[in-house]
Amino acid sequence: MAVADIAEVRRTKALQERAENRTLTRLTIGPSPWARAGALAALAVLAGIWLVPLVWGAVTSFKHEAEAALPASLLPTMGWTLDAYQKVLGSSDLLLWMWNSLVVAVLVTVITVLISAMAAFAFSQTLFRGRAVMQWLTLAAIMMPGQILIVPLFREMQVLGLVDTFAGIVLPQVVAPVMVFILKRFFDAIPRELLDAARIDGAGSWRLFWTIVLPLSRSILVAVAIFVFIGAWNNFLWPFIVTTDPQFMTLPVGLSTVKDAYGVQYAQNMASAMIAALPLLILFMLFQRRIVQGVATTGMGGQ
Amino acid sequence: MIASRTRSRAESSGGLSRRDLLRAALVGAGGVALGGALAGCATPSAAGAGKTPVMIWDLFSGGDGALMQEMVGAVASANPDIAVASTTLAWGPPYYTKLAMASSGGRPPEAAVMHMSRLAGYAPGGLLEPFDLDALAELGIGEEHFAPAVWEKAQYDGQLYALPLDTHPYIVFHNPKIIQDAGLALPDGKLDLDAVAGADNFLAAGRSLAEITGETGVGWGYQRDPAGCWRMFWGLYSQNGGGYELTPGRPAELDEEAAAEVFEFLQAMVDGTVAAKNQDGNAAAARFMSERTGMMFAGEWDLPMFRDALPDVGATPFPAIFDTPANYADSHAFVLPRQGTPDPAAREATYRVLAGLLKEGLTWASAGHIPAYQPIVEEPAYQELTPQRDYAPAAEVAVFDPDAWFTGGGSDFQTRMADAMTDTLAGKAPARTAVTRMLSEMDRFLSQPNPA
Amino acid sequence: MTVSNPGVSAPLERALPGRPASASRPGTRAEPARKSMRERDRSGYLFVAPFAVATGLFLVVPTLYGLWMSFTNQSLTGTGSEFIGFANYVEAFSDPQVWQTLWHTVWFTILSTIPLVFVALVMALLVHTGLPGQWVWRMSFFAPYLLTSAVVWHLSNWMFQPDIGLLDTWMTGLGLQPLGWLTDENVAMFSIAGVTVWWTVGFNFLLYLAALQGIPAQQYEAATIDGAGGWRRLFSITLPQLRTITGVIVVLQLLASLKVFDQIYMLTAGGPNGSTRPILEYIYDTGFTNYRLGYASAISYVFFALILVFTLVRLLPARKEA
Repeated sequence: MAVADIAEVRRTKALQERAENRTLTRLTIGPSPWARAGALAALAVLAGIWLVPLVWGAVTSFKHEAEAALPASLLPTMGWTLDAYQKVLGSSDLLLWMWNSLVVAVLVTVITVLISAMAAFAFSQTLFRGRAVMQWLTLAAIMMPGQILIVPLFREMQVLGLVDTFAGIVLPQVVAPVMVFILKRFFDAIPRELLDAARIDGAGSWRLFWTIVLPLSRSILVAVAIFVFIGAWNNFLWPFIVTTDPQFMTLPVGLSTVKDAYGVQYAQNMASAMIAALPLLILFMLFQRRIVQGVATTGMGGQ
Repeated sequence: MIASRTRSRAESSGGLSRRDLLRAALVGAGGVALGGALAGCATPSAAGAGKTPVMIWDLFSGGDGALMQEMVGAVASANPDIAVASTTLAWGPPYYTKLAMASSGGRPPEAAVMHMSRLAGYAPGGLLEPFDLDALAELGIGEEHFAPAVWEKAQYDGQLYALPLDTHPYIVFHNPKIIQDAGLALPDGKLDLDAVAGADNFLAAGRSLAEITGETGVGWGYQRDPAGCWRMFWGLYSQNGGGYELTPGRPAELDEEAAAEVFEFLQAMVDGTVAAKNQDGNAAAARFMSERTGMMFAGEWDLPMFRDALPDVGATPFPAIFDTPANYADSHAFVLPRQGTPDPAAREATYRVLAGLLKEGLTWASAGHIPAYQPIVEEPAYQELTPQRDYAPAAEVAVFDPDAWFTGGGSDFQTRMADAMTDTLAGKAPARTAVTRMLSEMDRFLSQPNPA
Repeated sequence: MTVSNPGVSAPLERALPGRPASASRPGTRAEPARKSMRERDRSGYLFVAPFAVATGLFLVVPTLYGLWMSFTNQSLTGTGSEFIGFANYVEAFSDPQVWQTLWHTVWFTILSTIPLVFVALVMALLVHTGLPGQWVWRMSFFAPYLLTSAVVWHLSNWMFQPDIGLLDTWMTGLGLQPLGWLTDENVAMFSIAGVTVWWTVGFNFLLYLAALQGIPAQQYEAATIDGAGGWRRLFSITLPQLRTITGVIVVLQLLASLKVFDQIYMLTAGGPNGSTRPILEYIYDTGFTNYRLGYASAISYVFFALILVFTLVRLLPARKEA
């Protein structure tokens, strides 16, 4: 598609959206300009409150350390500087932890989605002895909050020799019975004629799974993947328990366990916070629609 | 950066390390954006093939941490066959928790820094290994190089479990200009300790300092700083002649009268003028460094940080608020966490590194600490360090934490004691309340079995 | 799992091209024709195996292992794994710390859940008006949810910093006494709940927004023709349609809040004076800081039993509904 065409499609989409939003406004609060102004003001105040910590953190990260320790002024009076960033990048393991977080989150996401989809497929499209029992067990597993297992799970990891390994961080996070049920519900809705036809053509389960079920469920898989990824990227408790070697720490664990600045270093703290916040914020800006949809769909699936 | 602060276990087995791969990947992927940062921090202590990795954990999150890094760098260049690295973890209970978990996980760092006051809680549980005195002797380190009392504290069950690094008293810093203006300086510009001796004198001095600064006179951050609360209390309590009886299975005993007097003094001090109410350590330090307060109670380890902001910052031992000469102190030491799979080569390298670090004591002294390794203390260069020599007398009257398995720097005990003081310090409860609460918390500890 | 919501499923369907309008529920039985096709398929074992193995290893085994540990005096240092019967449970029931930290957990849950539901609803209602700046509003409300706990800690710690933090600066600027945001026992839990609302409200906001988008436009059209004003439409159309999703959000939120650990551990480590310590932190402190793994396991199981009771209680009415 030519660039001009893409731009055209975008413009049409934007126009369409604007029209939809106008209709919504008319339907929800009506034509009164006062009501609109009131709602807009409320939105602005809320958004302001929600953005202040981020904006202030960002500004502080560009201040000189000496100024950061003075009573707060919003804008720097001693000029902007990249000092804090330079120091943080130069002396801490921030990038290493970010990399670890990425590896962990990707592994957790891929494994979780794959094994959950396979199990969901088995529950939805195949019959085997003990299927009902397994399904009940999976349902029961949803009620087991993993957080209370930290003590025995740490002991188990010691026995398995998995303390301070990626396997130790990742594997306990891939058990996601909720996701199995969310996916099963969607697999259940795949038209059975489609699957039966393929079976008559001699397709085995493996082929059904890869060539029909998965492609048809792409959007729910993406939704689940987004959800799992955000969860794994931000997970603190388990990686915190199972890593003692800073080389294997994920971002939240490293940031809160290892001191990379000595003394009181507000600007540097803010700089590391900003660097740590950046990847997901950028992802969100790029894929806002997808992420919003993914979180909403999967989150509600948790019902 | 990545290279200097981390290690890889793969290195000792000769394989391509994860760090090397990572560095390659990072440089490749983020090369454009991060190239500068990465290039700027690749240090010569980077582990290469065939080097024995030695990792040291420490909890020096104050200004002294940077100097420990410097010492590690010096030892690394003196021992090119060893890949030395150190990591600073968050101070206090989190540090000791991680250390215990790492030791019990079987893959702890080769060495770690510990408060000597914590030894009683660690050594009996088998989380540490004793030092081999012969191996130390070969490196020129032995009993004769340490003060007898310190050497004695490093023993458990007849064996040496800790290699003493320093003694670090809790002292008072001052801003020379402000104390001069407040008329609290001696002719040579140092703080006149006689002018601040005795509770009433001290409080009066604090008020005159506050007049000069327009804010507060003395900095003390006690909020969110359990250790700071405990150091202050225990130092003052000892000055007031208080003793203790902490025997497992029996009720704790303190001199309640003496303890209550301490809290009455502290309540009078934290009045918003002499010292700020509701202040934490960071805020107190920030005030002191921005010259909004004239004196500051802190550990001597904050010296590098203060000196960055106030190049001529002065320091003296803790003022004699009460009659008995006493100054709270603790001691850092190196310990050997028990390895799951002991490696003789790593052990030998670790001894060499630790010996090297002890001998870098002059750098450590510039961090504010009083080195435990006596040959350093006797050097003329050390004798000339200011303000270190001004507060060195604090070590002569040092009082350490009470003896019990649950006490010590960064322990849960300190947190509990500080919690017990909170209401009293905030002026919401009388001085007696803190004492009663402390005793009942102590009783709770004494009734528990030593889990180690 | 059995709650169904017409208001919710609409956007789901929109998100899924080619998906038929009616999704069957987990328990729904398939028709015979389908069954016969599936009956020939015996490969289900293989498909469920990886999930089953993972669940067995990392959920079932630790659950049973923990149960056994709770009857021993096992220590982190490796000493003591004798069977000591119910001693740990007896201790747990008489340990005031267990009940205190449990109460803190519940108190935090109450303090956080109410605004987390209410503020999210207000945000979603406001954004759903379709007013200009949709992208900005969504971004501002949801962005904090994407921050990892350590970032939230750095930011809020800096806001709450006594004396020189932003909040205290504002308070003094307004002529008020600075508050001990994290240092005053009466304030700290509110501060933590506030941070939590700021951090995680975006998630509930999205759930509400999705539900709102599922309300058919015709209902509003009809009401407009009937002359119902904006408030009237809000109370007679919008809010009633949100009842089910609100139930879902409340339950999800309660379960999430009960497991609070990260932000409290980082911001106050349970202080001041242990007034914010949640039960998960007490489990951590007992097991890892104080080495008492056996006792920590026992406390975990007491907590688990309570969560289980709560879950079952909320599941039963849902079951009746379905």
